[in-house]
Amino acid sequence: MVSQQLQTGCKPNTGQFTAMPDTPSKELADALFAVATHRDKRAFALLFQYFSPKIKRFGIKQFGSEAQAMELVQETLTSVWRKAHLYHKDKGAATTWVYTVMRNASFDMLRKMKSSREECISEDIWPLIDEATPGQHEFSDHLEDKQIKQYLNKLPQAQREVVRGVYFQDMSQEQLAEHLNIPVGTVKSRLRLALQKLRNEMGDQHD
Amino acid sequence: MIKHHPSNDILMQFSEGNLPASLSIAVAIHVEMCPVCKKEIAALEAKQADNVFAGFDADSEDSFDAGLFDAITADDAIDEIYEQAPITVDVKDKTYTLPRALTRIGHSNFMQLGKLARSRIDIDDGALRASLLHIDAGGEIPEHTHTGFELTLLLEGEFSDEEGSYVPGDFMMLDGRHNHTPKTAQGCLCFTVVSSALHFNKGISKLLNPIGNLIY
Repeated sequence: MVSQQLQTGCKPNTGQFTAMPDTPSKELADALFAVATHRDKRAFALLFQYFSPKIKRFGIKQFGSEAQAMELVQETLTSVWRKAHLYHKDKGAATTWVYTVMRNASFDMLRKMKSSREECISEDIWPLIDEATPGQHEFSDHLEDKQIKQYLNKLPQAQREVVRGVYFQDMSQEQLAEHLNIPVGTVKSRLRLALQKLRNEMGDQHD
Repeated sequence: MIKHHPSNDILMQFSEGNLPASLSIAVAIHVEMCPVCKKEIAALEAKQADNVFAGFDADSEDSFDAGLFDAITADDAIDEIYEQAPITVDVKDKTYTLPRALTRIGHSNFMQLGKLARSRIDIDDGALRASLLHIDAGGEIPEHTHTGFELTLLLEGEFSDEEGSYVPGDFMMLDGRHNHTPKTAQGCLCFTVVSSALHFNKGISKLLNPIGNLIY
């Protein structure tokens, strides 16, 4: 598809004056990663600028109202900021992930308009974590102690991943860093936090 | 092997988020049991993302809403996702593990009528009603039709009707043009979505009305 319209602006960070610029996939994926690992506001600004007008355009089509379109922009980008750590490059393009986040937010908004009940069930329908993440079956083999499993389940997902990788899948911290696509330092700090938390939870019973 | 899948149209609407909630749950359950449809959904989402996000936005230069940006980034917390432990239901001395999609959504106790038992899924979805339907070994549902549609997703066990036999994961969408008489030798648990009361074609309809009410 070629647009005949003369364009006067350019996409952020692409440096191209094209009518239909290629999606800056790598920049977007890198930005999501930086938001996830460093809470990087500059990276988030790139995502914010790239996606807001597009989400708004979609929202107006979906709801026929500018106010609701803006609500969708806010809901979606808030989720992107708070859930960026759930995105993994090997699962697909950053744009696809943001699309699913937006689709979920839109679904919950539409339901709220139709129903008096304030329930958000989009993540029951489209979970943002894949159930088949590695580590699930290893679990039952090595961890027969249900109590430990319960303690582990109380940990945030990011910390649990690291504990599982190091203690139950016998990965080195370096291997795990590569596998999770995070710096080794992050693996170490998550592990430290997780062990601290586990120690607090298990308290006196297990010394 | 799963032989009955949601239509392309249903998969498309599901991935766009445009399907009613109870049907979306049904498709979500099917997709987790069916690698073929799972792959299809991933492809549809990628395509839709391209369609929605492609193109140049004339106002992208001056639409940066600094107030919104600051409001969002003011809070550094992240959303932790916790895995849900699977939940089980007991019907007629059998224990069934519910699909992941139903672990956080409530359902009522089972109401029994002969070999049938039904638990209502706690979803407000207009005229659509979603249920867990259990048919005990040797049970059947009398021949019936309906004005709307009836979706049956087999979760566990087996059943068969005039068209053939079904395995867990099979997704059957029937509309008013179909009559059928599902029966099961070993018993089964299904997730159903029904859009209107059923009409029984045989027998004394008054006697069958309670079944119609149970199933809808």
